[in-house]
Amino acid sequence: MLFLTVVLKNLLRRPARSLLTLAGIAIGVAAVVALTSVAWGFEGSWERAYAARGTDLIVTKVTSQSPMPAPFSESKRAELLRMPHVRQVNGLLSDLVSIEESPTVLVFGWEPGGFLWEHLHLVQGRWPADEKEKTAVLGVVAADILKKGVGSTVVVETGEYTVCGIFDSGALVENGAVILTLPQLQQVTENEGKVNFFNLRLDPGTTPAELEDLRAAIRARFPGFSAFTAGEVAQNNSAIRVAKAMSWATSLLALLVGAVGVMNTVLMSVFERTHEIGVLLAIGWRRSRIVRLILYESMVLSLSGGIAGSALGFAAVKLLQWSPILRGKIEGEVSPGLFAVALSVALGLGMLGGLYPAYRGSRLPPGEALRYE
Amino acid sequence: MEARGLERRFDGGRVQALRGADFVVREGEFVAVMGPSGSGKSTLLQLLGALDRPSGGEVLFRGEPLGAVHDLAGFRARTLGFIFQSFHLLPTLTAAENVQVPMFEMPWPPRERRARAEALLAAVGLGERLDHRPATLSGGERQRVAIARSLANGPQLLLADEPTGNLDSESAGKILDLLERIHAERGMTLVVVTHDPRVAGRARRTLRMLDGRVVSDEDQREGAPCSS
Ligand SMILES: Nc1ncnc2c1ncn2[C@@H]1O[C@H](COP(=O)(O)OP(=O)(O)OP(=O)(O)O)[C@@H](O)[C@H]1O
Ligand SMILES: [Mg+2]
Repeated sequence: MLFLTVVLKNLLRRPARSLLTLAGIAIGVAAVVALTSVAWGFEGSWERAYAARGTDLIVTKVTSQSPMPAPFSESKRAELLRMPHVRQVNGLLSDLVSIEESPTVLVFGWEPGGFLWEHLHLVQGRWPADEKEKTAVLGVVAADILKKGVGSTVVVETGEYTVCGIFDSGALVENGAVILTLPQLQQVTENEGKVNFFNLRLDPGTTPAELEDLRAAIRARFPGFSAFTAGEVAQNNSAIRVAKAMSWATSLLALLVGAVGVMNTVLMSVFERTHEIGVLLAIGWRRSRIVRLILYESMVLSLSGGIAGSALGFAAVKLLQWSPILRGKIEGEVSPGLFAVALSVALGLGMLGGLYPAYRGSRLPPGEALRYE
Repeated sequence: MEARGLERRFDGGRVQALRGADFVVREGEFVAVMGPSGSGKSTLLQLLGALDRPSGGEVLFRGEPLGAVHDLAGFRARTLGFIFQSFHLLPTLTAAENVQVPMFEMPWPPRERRARAEALLAAVGLGERLDHRPATLSGGERQRVAIARSLANGPQLLLADEPTGNLDSESAGKILDLLERIHAERGMTLVVVTHDPRVAGRARRTLRMLDGRVVSDEDQREGAPCSS
């Protein structure tokens, strides 16, 4: 017989109670997995979008409240182009717009002929011919959500646009978006001559040190502006930051409840087994083995909860991804890394929940525990 | 093994379970401890088994005071075997597993633990009941499992507190036969607390207790302590 056999048989002694505790842990871990998966997936999606665009640096106005940075004058483009290592500058305007019945959709206005278009694959139709044309292209996911095809009309704010093409990008944030030419979006949102992002491409071979110098120079030249690398934009997006903070708070709460559940169960089973612990001590078990027995019990409990919770969490993300409201907006990341995080969290909970009961159990005086019936 | 002026008080001195018990048990002896209820027999056994500390006096094992032993758990695991009135088997484990519980303290691999448990259960006549859980065994069978468990690590001292107290007279007789045989075969010291005069009849020596003291010490075989 293995030591683990004793542990498992103890847990199976009260299957309903063990199962309920396991469920408590599973729900906590599922919340962590789902929220983290969405947060990581969202960040990853933006990173992939910027990487696919070939954007080295993004210049934008620093905002703290709004999820979209405020528009600013396009006139800074010429100045940006004169700065060292800057090869290309593309302005873009983005907004969250409610289109017809559907929930909000991300709408981009991109400069006609700019480098941003290069990474998109046309699946159907054609690109907008010029900036006069009132046409729009839809990402594959957006086309699906809005139920539009080539030739149909989408209404953005007060403007009506004919869908001239459907495209596919590597990144969900773009696949779920509608793209107009920059002048058309500027006009319909009354932001003539304004953009809210500049995408910069730098000379090939620009060193990290030169990049840092450039960022400092941009910040110095344009107060209130900032220059981010692709990875940092998502990290600095206030909406993502709020979402992450919320997900952490929720996770922490869920985990705390889980840990208290484990502690309660294990403590109860220690009290129930006071007499049994006395017997074990009488037949020569060391106190350290009693500690190990109790800690293992709580860790097996929470680890199984962690595995069940991970499965539950990943299933929840899949479900959320296909829900009508969130479809095309979130993309859960289901990675071994996240699974490892979930299991370590569960194991930590088990340790935390088992420590006090183990301490109590191992401190019982053997003679008295034996008399206890 | 020797008890010197053993005292044990409970509840801040209001209860005096032992009031200076003195005796010597020689190695390999079979000693019965008798006395009315409340005379301190169980308390005495717990002190001999290092499960409790005396309020006064001391217990010596092979000349060394138990109070000076650093690793009491190790002492209990390797040197002692305990048998209780109500068996105290772990309900979730099978007979073979129950016998293996004390073996975790020994450096034996799982296969050897299993083999030893099977051999011990065969020795107590339960070779056919290895995978039965305590609930599916009779009282006498449970006590046999408990005896096999007490022998798990090859103890030199076996302490039994009313091992036949919960059994009918037929099972009790068999358990006594078994204890007697084990004592004869393995030669360990055996101390049995009992109300049962038949147990006392089989022991070489009987200590009688009254009010926390040893009041008589009868050697049935005068001048012939068991050799080992
Ligand atoms: N932990 C304890 N706290 C308080 N009193 C105790 C404790 N242990 C034993 N006693 C008291 O000490 C006295 C002796 O108890 P003990 O259990 O040793 O008697 P015993 O001889 O084994 O009796 P029995 O034959 O009924 O088992 C009793 O009066 C008992 O109530
Ligand atoms: Mg007693």
